[in-house]
Amino acid sequence: MEVVNSPDTRIGAAEYLSGIWRSRYFWLSLVRMDLRSRYRRSALGIGWSLLQPLAMTCVLCVVFSTMFGVDVRTYGAYLLIGLSFWQFISNCVLQGCRAFQAAEAYIRQMPQPMLIYPLRVVLASGFHFLLSLGLALLMVWILIGFGNLPALPLIVPVLLMVFLLGLALAMIFSVVNAYFPDTQHLSEVGLSMAFYLTPVIYTKELLTQRKMDWLIDINPLANALELLRAPILYGDLPSLWRLGMASGTIGLVCLIAYALFFSRQRTLIFRL
Amino acid sequence: MAYIRLENASLTFQMRRLAKLGFKDYVVKQLFRRSKNPPIEVRALQNINLNIEAGTRLGVVGHNGAGKSTFLKLLAGVYPVTSGRVVVNGRVSSLFDINVGFEWEANGWENIEFRGLLQGETPKSIRAKAQEIAEFSELGDFLNGPIRHYSAGMLVRLAFSVATAVEPEILLVDESLSAGDLAFQTKAKKRIHQLCDRAELVVMVSHDLGALESLCNRAIWLHKGQIRMQGDPCDVLEAYREYQTNKGNGEAQQQEAADTAEKVDEGDSPSESEQPTVDFCEKRAA
Repeated sequence: MEVVNSPDTRIGAAEYLSGIWRSRYFWLSLVRMDLRSRYRRSALGIGWSLLQPLAMTCVLCVVFSTMFGVDVRTYGAYLLIGLSFWQFISNCVLQGCRAFQAAEAYIRQMPQPMLIYPLRVVLASGFHFLLSLGLALLMVWILIGFGNLPALPLIVPVLLMVFLLGLALAMIFSVVNAYFPDTQHLSEVGLSMAFYLTPVIYTKELLTQRKMDWLIDINPLANALELLRAPILYGDLPSLWRLGMASGTIGLVCLIAYALFFSRQRTLIFRL
Repeated sequence: MAYIRLENASLTFQMRRLAKLGFKDYVVKQLFRRSKNPPIEVRALQNINLNIEAGTRLGVVGHNGAGKSTFLKLLAGVYPVTSGRVVVNGRVSSLFDINVGFEWEANGWENIEFRGLLQGETPKSIRAKAQEIAEFSELGDFLNGPIRHYSAGMLVRLAFSVATAVEPEILLVDESLSAGDLAFQTKAKKRIHQLCDRAELVVMVSHDLGALESLCNRAIWLHKGQIRMQGDPCDVLEAYREYQTNKGNGEAQQQEAADTAEKVDEGDSPSESEQPTVDFCEKRAA
């Protein structure tokens, strides 16, 4: 197969995707290595990634139920979903910042579609996310019951959306960080601000009662979280409004990621 | 059939005196239009025209910073060209930095598989090769232990054994593939020769002029990112040797001083001084 390298070579989407597919064994083994090397020498192994959101959930449940008298049964699962989602997003952003630096040796060795490096980050943290989401589901079934079963198939498209959002964030931050190394520190600050702007640990009623719904509507993270909670917690279908706002805001993030990533990826290697 | 064509290929890097441009610097630059850290253009390769057909074993020589490794990476598709065209037809296998991608906590066998996948093998094909790789590395029972207990020499053996277990159409080899103790080095050299024999097209960068002479049927001499001479390896290597000797004798010391100054200007870091390399080449060539 003839490969042409010139300033005006444009690679079509189909060709790019098939390149990703061809190197699947490579990036899948990177993901597997990330998962394995993280816990290889620890006693609890993969359990550690569950422990973090679980411990937070326990503490916050105790605090909130005594202080504000919330119902622990629903609030526990509500928190666990929120915290695992947040851990996934912040992993995508923070490890996304380092996606290219971490893979610099590979990038300098052989040409691969650059998208596989943010993808690796998202898949590795997505694995942990799915685990703790499963735990939350188990919690709902035990504490609340099986009322959510009819709505559960909805999780699949929602998870796909959340995954896309994570990938878009990892793409954006990986490219921006290659140009400005300070991004890593800035994004830490940004994430902790976003954490309080998103109903992760407080309920969204706190916002709606004060007529601050728009804060959720314009926030892609809050939208995604709402979509995620509705079927698992309440067995509800999300409202059309929420669905529209979610697709709109997440679509916008994806569009930015797409434009930024593919305008820069060819010459990214000079920024490493 | 495999071939590589370069038409007026140039590669220009943008470098900065400070390694990275900080956010502050960016803002300041935007506001005041003047930066303390201006980008420096490094013209790593300029207007290279070359046709490499199947059957060619091309040797590349040139002193440090002449653009040899950049040239190889351009062929491998790692670097995008700034202008011109590079057309590569054939599956490329590259031996640049073989010490890439070890998993320290995993044992030797797992690492053979992991490294193989990095090189584009499938799980099936690498399992078929694992036994041969293990035998060549001569690591025996050590392969069952985690590689963080390996000595540096053992690691190089393992890396070399996996990296050379490929079926290349186009083979790109960067210098300094010396591996392990003396006995293993002889074995390694033989393996590289066999690899070159199997490949349809080989491009090899080395300071070991003797090795190039025995392996190559064509040579180019890169100087400051341009092809200074090309043709029969005997002629090119002879001319290169002569140039180096003259420099060593001090006849071209002024020229060298100018070269070095220019290099610093370009932001290139002359980590090794020129002199030892010359000695090294002479010794190996003798």
